[in-house]
Amino acid sequence: MDAKGNNLPYLSFREVSYSVAGRSILDRLSFDLERGETLVLLGQSGSGKTTALRLINRMLDPTGGDVYLDGEPVRALDPIVLRRRIGYVIQDFGLLPHWTVAENVALVPRLLRWPAERQRQRVGELLQQVGLDPATFGSRRPRQLSGGQMQRVAVARALAAEPALLLFDEPFGALDPLTRREMQQQFLDLRSRYHLASVFVTHDLLEALALGTRIAVLHAGVLETIVTPQEFFSVKTPVARAFLDTLPKTTTQGACQ
Amino acid sequence: MDPTVIRTLLGDVLQLTGEHIILVGVSCSVAILIGVSAGILGTRHATVRRLSVTAASVLQTIPSLALFGFLLPIPYIGGIGRHTAMVALVLYSLLPILRNTIVGITSVSPPVREAAIAMGMTDPQILRLVELPLAAPTILAGIRIALVTNIGTAVIAAVIGGGGLGELIFRGVASVNTLEILAGAIPAAGLALLADAGMSLLERKIAPV
Ligand SMILES: Nc1ncnc2c1ncn2[C@@H]1O[C@H](COP(=O)(O)OP(=O)(O)OP(=O)(O)O)[C@@H](O)[C@H]1O
Ligand SMILES: [Mg+2]
Repeated sequence: MDAKGNNLPYLSFREVSYSVAGRSILDRLSFDLERGETLVLLGQSGSGKTTALRLINRMLDPTGGDVYLDGEPVRALDPIVLRRRIGYVIQDFGLLPHWTVAENVALVPRLLRWPAERQRQRVGELLQQVGLDPATFGSRRPRQLSGGQMQRVAVARALAAEPALLLFDEPFGALDPLTRREMQQQFLDLRSRYHLASVFVTHDLLEALALGTRIAVLHAGVLETIVTPQEFFSVKTPVARAFLDTLPKTTTQGACQ
Repeated sequence: MDPTVIRTLLGDVLQLTGEHIILVGVSCSVAILIGVSAGILGTRHATVRRLSVTAASVLQTIPSLALFGFLLPIPYIGGIGRHTAMVALVLYSLLPILRNTIVGITSVSPPVREAAIAMGMTDPQILRLVELPLAAPTILAGIRIALVTNIGTAVIAAVIGGGGLGELIFRGVASVNTLEILAGAIPAAGLALLADAGMSLLERKIAPV
C-alpha cells in the first residue's frame, strides 16, 4: 500500500472500535467501500449503526483502529472541513427551525461561502430534484412541512455542496411507499451520475436489497456478516435470517429472480 | 394647594424619574453583558456554569436592602452614592439573565444541534447562527424579569444615596406626606408597567418560530 496510493479504497474501516465508559458500542468493524458503491447498514435498534456513521465524519473518534477516507486517516483531517465534504442526513432530520427551507438547503454552500447567486440556483435545482416546488416550499419554515417533506429537505441539504460521500441515516423512513420508491430511484440515479460513495442505514430489508451494493448486518456492535444483495438470501447468520423472515414469502421469491 | 409646591414637586418627579431610568438602564445593560456572556461560557464549561449560577443565586437570595448594606463598607465599589447602587443592582439582576441564557441555549433540540455540527459549523457559528437565535425568546424573558425587578429594587437604592424615585418615597414616608409618596410611587409603577409591556412586545416580535 503506498502513502497516498490509488489502490486504497475510497472509504475504509480498519478494526474500528468505539467504547464509552468501558462499554463496547462497536467492536473491530472492518470494511471497504469504493466510489459508486453503497454499503447498507442493517441492524436492530441500538446495534451501532448511527455510531458507525459518526465515526466517519468525526462527530466521534474511534477508541481503536482507524477510518480512512480517500487514502487518509480521518483523524488527521480537520473535522470542520471533513464534515462540509460529506452529505449527512441525520436520523431526525435536524432542520433548523428558525430558517426557511431554502436557507436550510443552502447551509453548507453558505458555510463554504459560495456566491449568493450560485447558492440560490443550487437550492432551486435541489428542491426540484427531491420533488418540492421551490416557489411553494422555498420560503416555508420546517414546522410548516409534513414529515416526508422535512425528510426530503434534509436530503436536499445533504446534497447541496456536491459531496462525494453520503451518510444517510434512515433518510426515507417517514415517506409513503410511492414517494419512497421515487426517492430510492433518485438516489440510484445520483449515485451513478456522480459516482458517489454512500453508507446507508435502514431497517427495511427491501430498501437494503434495492440500494445496497453490499449489505452489512450489525448485531450489538459486531459485524455479523457483509455480503452482496444476491448473497444475502443464502446467509445463515441469525440476525440476517431474522431479517429475511420478515419478508412475505412471495416477495422473497420475487426479489430472488 | 400652593402652586409653587406643586411645581417644585413636578420638577423633582421629572429629575428623579430621569435618574431612575439611568440607574436601571445602566445597571441592566451591564447585567445583560455579564449575564449573557457568563451564560454562554457556562454552556461550554460545566465548572463555569456551576460557579456562576451558584454565585448569582446567592446574590439573589440576599434581601436587597441587606445587599446594599453589605456593599457600603467595601472599598472602591462601596460607600454612599450612585455607583454603589449601580453595583448592587447589577448583581441583583444577574440571576434571571444568566439562568435563562443557559436554559435557552441548552434546550436547543439535540437533532438540531447535531445537524449543525454534522454540516460542518464551527462552535462560534453554532452559537451565532443556531443557539442564540433559538434561545433569544428565553433570554429576553430573563431580561424582562431582571428589568422589571430592577425598577422596583432601584427604589430602595435611595437609602444609600443612589437617587431615583425612591428618594421621593422615603422623603414622603419620613414627613408623612402622602402626595410625595404617591409622586414617587406612581411613576415607579408606571415605569415598571411600561418596561414590561415594551419587553413583551419585543419578545413577540423576535419569536418567529
Ligand atoms: N453518547 C453515548 N453514550 C453512551 N452510550 C451511547 C451513546 N450513544 C449511543 N450509545 C449506545 O450505543 C449503542 C448504539 O447506538 P446507535 O445510536 O449507534 O444505535 P443505532 O443502531 O443507530 O440504533 P437505532 O436504529 O435505534 O437508531 C446503543 O446501545 C446506545 O445506547
Ligand atoms: Mg440510529
